This record gives sequence, structure tokens and C-alpha cells, in this order.
Amino acid sequence: MKTVLTIASNTFKETVRNKVLYNILLVAGAALFLSMSFGDLSVFSRTQVMTDFGLATMSLTGLLLAVFIGAGMLGSEISTKTVYGILTKPVSREQFIFGKFFGLVSTLLLNFALISLVFFIAITLMGADVKISIMDAVVLLAVEMSVIVSAAIFFSSFTTPTLAAIFTIGFYISGHLNDLVDIGTKQQESVIWQTVLKFFYFLLPNLEHFNIRSRVVYDLPVPPDFVTGVFCYGVLYTILLLLLSSMVFSRKDL
Amino acid sequence: MNVIELKNISKTYRKGLRARKVPAVVNLTFSVKKNRVTGFVGPNGAVKTTTIKMITGLVRQSSGTVKINGIESFNPQSRQGVSYLSEQPCFYGHLTVNEALGFAANLLGISGKRIGSEIDRVLDIVEMAEKKSVKVKELSKGMQQRINMAQALLGNPHAMVLDEPMSGMDPPGRKLFRSIFTELKKQGVTVFFSTHVLDDIEAICDDVIVLSKGELVYDGGVMDLLDTGRLGMEMVVFGTVKDEMESLNEIGCSVTEKNNNSIVFVPKDKDYKLVQHLLFSKGKSFVSVKSTSESLQDLLYHNPQKQYVEHEL
Repeated sequence: MKTVLTIASNTFKETVRNKVLYNILLVAGAALFLSMSFGDLSVFSRTQVMTDFGLATMSLTGLLLAVFIGAGMLGSEISTKTVYGILTKPVSREQFIFGKFFGLVSTLLLNFALISLVFFIAITLMGADVKISIMDAVVLLAVEMSVIVSAAIFFSSFTTPTLAAIFTIGFYISGHLNDLVDIGTKQQESVIWQTVLKFFYFLLPNLEHFNIRSRVVYDLPVPPDFVTGVFCYGVLYTILLLLLSSMVFSRKDL
Repeated sequence: MNVIELKNISKTYRKGLRARKVPAVVNLTFSVKKNRVTGFVGPNGAVKTTTIKMITGLVRQSSGTVKINGIESFNPQSRQGVSYLSEQPCFYGHLTVNEALGFAANLLGISGKRIGSEIDRVLDIVEMAEKKSVKVKELSKGMQQRINMAQALLGNPHAMVLDEPMSGMDPPGRKLFRSIFTELKKQGVTVFFSTHVLDDIEAICDDVIVLSKGELVYDGGVMDLLDTGRLGMEMVVFGTVKDEMESLNEIGCSVTEKNNNSIVFVPKDKDYKLVQHLLFSKGKSFVSVKSTSESLQDLLYHNPQKQYVEHEL
């Protein structure tokens, strides 16, 4: 465990010092600022617009972070040969993968914490309360992003950083459209197509489960069991992807 | 006892659209003995680096076994107490020398309290103590290689695997590394290092392993290898040996004169003691008597009769 934490802490320091992170935070800040102005133009209340914008911004910055840093992570370790300094010590490739993941997720959480802080301050200044459901939404977004980061690491374990980034974006989009795949399966008459679509439906995660933004914005109740269930679903999917990444990476010649 | 053991190792890469199999290493078997300094030589393309990567678990062999301390090399436990130094220093750009060594020390499981003193110890050895707070990427390549050596010395490893450790080093740096190797040898550390500089092999190593085109061409003692290239004895005699010239020629010796001395060369198949006795009996005295042999460079690359390696460096 000490080894994983050492690698995670180094990855955290490395990503925190990465300029990409600050650019992403800048984008997030700009989006939150804009949401304050849009509130006046919308038929919805300013708080509703800000909540919607704030959560969407977190989702977007998480995705950007996963794509720009996560997808290139293993590739850059190999091209700069920094991986040699780690894996030639008594460190397994599984420890390396998990260490890199925890390091990047820590950066992601810091990123979320900063945006949330600005977001909550802005909501409070407007006289609205920070609801528990907003916290639930942030937690589920963080879990969703950990799935995306693990997917980015998985793709980067066997392909180039560019392709890994494209695959990660594809994974994100298809994960959010997974419900449509289910509808498509039911409409198909061909057994072969039904089987193919069902395969993809079960293979890809349903990322829409992590999206409770509309419920939060419209003040609809979020069952606590739902949050716990989705949280566990995300954690299991993340572990599965990390184990797959470790398997693939263990066979890779460096 | 052997620290590193490679048995019938082969490595095949797949190339091109049809994934054509290209053999890189062919049925390679050798071992590195404990407490000895072993050099690993061969021309470019001899797959020295690939072999070292298989030893350190970075590359997996297609067939055969690689064992370190009796454990398969892909098992991380095999690298317990074994350090590695890469040809190119590879540190994270955001770390200072102190942070980079601290990171390596943590990975080695050195306890937190000992890390500071351990870093100071290794930095003293590589004479880089004053660069502790400098970012590694701001150092020259030679200095980075010293830091690379420092990380390989962390935790007092019992064996070291080094891939061209003196690459890019200036003469003082090379001298320092040679003295580090000599000290490690005294301490009984097993050192296995690849190099193109055969002088280093002659000066430091007990054993040498020679590869050519992925195949083993020599595995044995450096002195044994040099002995195969022994030319004979060279005796420097005070004054002239004109009166003894006929007898010396009969034995098969050649004589040259230099600075009022005579240099008598006795080929290795002739008995030099006989020549010594002959010259003593004639009242001659000797300035020096030494064995002459081909250099490792000539032996491995230039002499067509005994050439081990087909390509020049």
C-alpha cells in the first residue's frame, strides 16, 4: 500500500504542476461567471441556472482532465522512460497502475473541491441554501469521473495517447447514450443485432445513472438507496477497468 | 552462486502489417556470479539493452527463463536488493534531486527516518551534495547520470544492473564511476554492466559476456579472454645484445634497440625462461620483463583470426 501511495503522491504533484489543470480551472471559473449572467436571461431562477451550469462545468472539467492528463499518462511515462525508474524496483505493474489512478483521481477531487467551493460561495451569496442533493450530485460526478479516468488509463495501456483520448471521449459519449442502446435493442427484430446491441449495453457503463443534475435543479427527491447503489456501481466498474489495465500493462514490453 | 541466470532465452518481436516474427535474441544462456563485476559487451544491435530489460522485468522473453536470486524476473520480488541504472537518466521533470531520490527511496521501502541520511550518503558518493535542491532537469546529462548512479546506490543493493552507466560522462565523471565500481567490488557487490568502452572492462571487470547479433560469443574471465590474445614476453635489456643475436634468432626471438636498451620479444610458444637464462649467463641485466597481449578491443573486433564479434563498434 505504501508503494501505491508513493506513486499516487508523485502523480498528484506532477498533475497539480501541470499547466493543463490551471487552464481547465480557468475554463470552469469562466463558465461559473457566465452562469451568473445567464441567470438573469433565463425563465428559471438564477440559482437553478447556476446549479445546472456548475454541475455541468464539473462534468466537463473532469472529462477534460481525464482526457488531457489521464489518456496520455502511461504513454508519457513510457516515452520519457520515467516508468523504468519505478518498475525496475520491487514494484508490480498493478501497484503502478493503481498508484497512477489514485494520483490522478486526487487531482480530480482537488479540482472538484475548488470548483464546488466557488460554486457554493456563489449560491450562498445569492441567498440560496446548499442542498444535500447538490452534494449527492457532486459525489456521483466524482465517481463518474473516476470511471472515466480508469477508462482513460485502460485505453492508454495498449494504445497511443491520441487514440486513448479519442477512445475515452467515445466511452464517455456512448456511456451517456447507453439508454438509447437499450431502446434500440428492443426495437430490433434481428436476433443477431439484438445480441450485438445487448452485448454493448452490458459492456458499457450507463453513465446517465451518475447524472442527477435535472433532479437537483428541479428540486426532485433523490432516493438515498439510489445514490449508494450508483456509487457502488461506479466503484466496481472502476476496479474492473483498473484490473483490466493492469492485465494488459503487465504484458507490455517497455 | 549465481545472482542472475538466463536459460535458453529467446525474444521475438512482431513487425509490419503481417506481424512478421523477427528474432532479436536467440537461445541465450549465461549467468552472472555473485560478488563479481561482470562486463557485458557487443556492438550496436547486439541486443544488450533488450537482454538487460529482460533481466529487470521491463521486457518479457518469448521463451526460456530469467531468474534473479532464483526468482523469475517478472516477479517484483526478484528485484529486492537489486538496483538498475538506465543509459538515459529518466527522472520526473518536476522533482528536485532530493525529491527524486526520496521518491526512489520510498519505492525501495527505506523507512522515513533513514531517507534523509541515505540521500546524503549517496549524494556524497557521487559528489553531488551541493545540487540537492536543484531540479534534476536543470542539470547536465553527465550530472543527471551521477544522480542516476546515486539512486542505484540507495539502500545498499547487493547487486546492480547497469546499462551503459558511463554514457555521456566527462573524464572526471568516468574516473569517479570507475572508483565507485572498484569500491563496490571491494564490498562484494555483484555488478553487471554493459559498455562499449573495453578499457573499462579490462580495468574493472572479473568476467565478461560478449554478445553478437543476439547470440553469446564469449562468457568467462577477462584474464582468460586476454590470455587467448597473449603474444609473448617483452624483455628490456640494458645495453646491446649484438653478441647474443644469433642465439636469440635461433630460439625465435626478435630484437629491437631503443634508447641504448635492447627490447627482446619472445613469442608465446617459446620458453622465455630459456632466453632469460641465456642473457643472465652472458652478464646481461634487465630493465623490465612483461607479458604482452592484444587489447580486448583488438581481440574482440580487429584480429580476424581470433575475432569474436563480426561488427566493429
